[in-house]
Amino acid sequence: MFNRKALMFGYSNTTKFLAENLTKELHYLVIIVDDDDSYQAAKKAGYRVKLLDITDDDILEELDVDEDDYLICVMKDHYINVFLTLSLHSLFPKTTIIALSDSYHATQKLKMAGATRIIDLYQVSANRIHNILTKPVATKLIERLFSPEEDFSFKEMLIPKNSILDTVMADDFDFSKHGIILVGMIDKRLSNQFIFITSGLENRFDVGDTLVCIGYNDDLNKFEEYIKGKEDES
Amino acid sequence: MLKELLIQYAFFLHGSKRYKKIKTTFSNFLLNSDYEYKKYFDIFMISLIIVSIAILVYEVKNPVPDWVDFFDIYLVTAIFLIEYIARVWVHNDWHKQVVKEVGEAQFLNRKVSLWIPTKETLKGKIRYLLTPTAIIDLLAILPAYRPLRVLRIFVLFRVFKLLRYTKSINQFLSVLASKKFELFTLLFLLVFITVTAGIAIYVFEQNENENIESIFDALYWALITISTVGYGDISPVTPEGRVVSMLIIVSGIAMISFVTSVIVSSFSEKLDELKENRIIEELNKKDEFMIICGYGQMTRMFLRYYAQEYTNRYIVIENDKERVEEAIKEGYKAIHEDASKHDVIKCFNLQYSNITLLALTGNDIANIYITLNAKSLSRKIKVIARARTEKMVKKYQLAGADSIIRPNIIADRMLYTAITQPVMYKAIYAILTGKNMALLDEINLTHAELLIGKTIEELEFKKQKLLCIGLQRAGEGGAFIFNPAVKTTLEESDILLVMGRKLSIEHFRNIYTKVKYV
Repeated sequence: MFNRKALMFGYSNTTKFLAENLTKELHYLVIIVDDDDSYQAAKKAGYRVKLLDITDDDILEELDVDEDDYLICVMKDHYINVFLTLSLHSLFPKTTIIALSDSYHATQKLKMAGATRIIDLYQVSANRIHNILTKPVATKLIERLFSPEEDFSFKEMLIPKNSILDTVMADDFDFSKHGIILVGMIDKRLSNQFIFITSGLENRFDVGDTLVCIGYNDDLNKFEEYIKGKEDES
Repeated sequence: MLKELLIQYAFFLHGSKRYKKIKTTFSNFLLNSDYEYKKYFDIFMISLIIVSIAILVYEVKNPVPDWVDFFDIYLVTAIFLIEYIARVWVHNDWHKQVVKEVGEAQFLNRKVSLWIPTKETLKGKIRYLLTPTAIIDLLAILPAYRPLRVLRIFVLFRVFKLLRYTKSINQFLSVLASKKFELFTLLFLLVFITVTAGIAIYVFEQNENENIESIFDALYWALITISTVGYGDISPVTPEGRVVSMLIIVSGIAMISFVTSVIVSSFSEKLDELKENRIIEELNKKDEFMIICGYGQMTRMFLRYYAQEYTNRYIVIENDKERVEEAIKEGYKAIHEDASKHDVIKCFNLQYSNITLLALTGNDIANIYITLNAKSLSRKIKVIARARTEKMVKKYQLAGADSIIRPNIIADRMLYTAITQPVMYKAIYAILTGKNMALLDEINLTHAELLIGKTIEELEFKKQKLLCIGLQRAGEGGAFIFNPAVKTTLEESDILLVMGRKLSIEHFRNIYTKVKYV
């Protein structure tokens, strides 16, 4: 993940939050704005920032974007946000575009414009309200999982070569011993899709599979280290 | 001695939970329109009134069997009498007045007087007895007295009694009452024209027209003519009389049009209010419901996804008329009111229903005010408020909000997850939106008693294709145990957090809730 870049279009509290929290996760992160005020503000705040005319495809085309990178569209004006998404999708069709939406209609348009993931500000809040009403305990847990400042989270782990888990059946391995819960995985043997462990399929761990676990950060990190080594036969 | 006994008795009644419960139950049946069983009592009384009227009307010309007579004289009348007495009883409390008097007497260091509380109570009851509805109730009992056949005319009061139990007639009367001034003005005008025309026709035709012998005949003619009924039994014979006729016919038509327009306009003015009151009344009968304040983006989104789940258990309160109309057009239940007003929230059944209030307007000041308003009326109301900025969160907490939603923060965290954990972003999204393939659900042991005392190991989650994520121990400050150890024993009122397909969770729930009834 560390060799990936993120290009964030727009300067807002969201951009600031992401810029502050993603520095450890990404190789390069830049904020791209189309007005001088935002440019000056972002620069003053110490972020890496570029001032570009984002409606000009020729300028966008010159951006250094790889397939594995992230293009994050969080422009305040949703007309520009949709237009930008469309431009980026036409220029970099294989790159992940994540866009923020503030209405149901904008979400539909962003989908059509080619955004890979759309986070609808109000939809996620509506879900949250519903969850608070119907599942307060679960909601609290989810809040903890989503909060970067909490010591409790989800983690994706790739099964490396010579891993202790290689060729082990999912049902045979006791995760609770490590204080974590395996939620699901990408079992490459079956498909490239994420499968919940409760889906009823017989999953086998192989090198290259991705595990998704929840637990305390310390336990998750320890487990990640643990699966790297081949178990001592003795 | 007797005085002391009466005071003791008053204090006994004041402290008796049973007495209070009985009186509250009677009061609920008779007066509380939010009480869920009141409608059955109303239906019973309406049926009884209709049957008794039918009997009384039928027996005017036909003999009825003895048992029908018995039913009407004793049973119906007895029920009406009991109802009448009960209404007088629940109207006010003598014991409360006595307790108040004793307290005041002790404070002022004077002798306790039983006459003061008794007088106050009697005054209250007499005031009630003189209300039109109480008089109707009393007169509705009288037709049962057979020796005096003239009392049968009071059967009409049984018809009037229906007013008490039929909301639409009451609403019609309340609409008319709101136009009291206009209607009284028209009535005065009607009386004035009728009397003037009556006197005129009497003066002009008393000697010429054999049908007009007295001023009463003249007034009768005037009224029949002005109302445009015109029986034709009396008609003017002189040219002057005919001119008077023409004039009052024209004024009669004008007046009828006036009255009709006044009633129609008052109805159209009140129609929205009546509809809104009906929605609130329906809602107040529910055990739990939701008041959504504001019809902005978030409310729209919430209702778009969840309105079906909360059918007939929510109401949107919005103070912008256009937005209310928009919400209604979308098929949602909305009323045009200001949720920050004390009286608006007070209309809801704060005592008996579990109410959740969503303060979702786009304005933090309004949301905080709404939160304070709701919490000042009842601490029981659960408030979920939307905060626009982080700085406001503390203020919401101080105002008493139970949960605070910050859309931007939630969205930021989702964005962060989408970037840092791309593979499982979809998975989290599925969990959050409760998709069928991975539901994160709660199993409350209060509703699954058979789980109490079992260990995590015994429940064989793996076999059930479920994941036991955690366990919330009972009580306010109960601890949350993530990934509970296999030997952990479940206790009463714990909440189990499980994840799995909807099918698996429902199956698990069924096993531990249904078996107990076998």
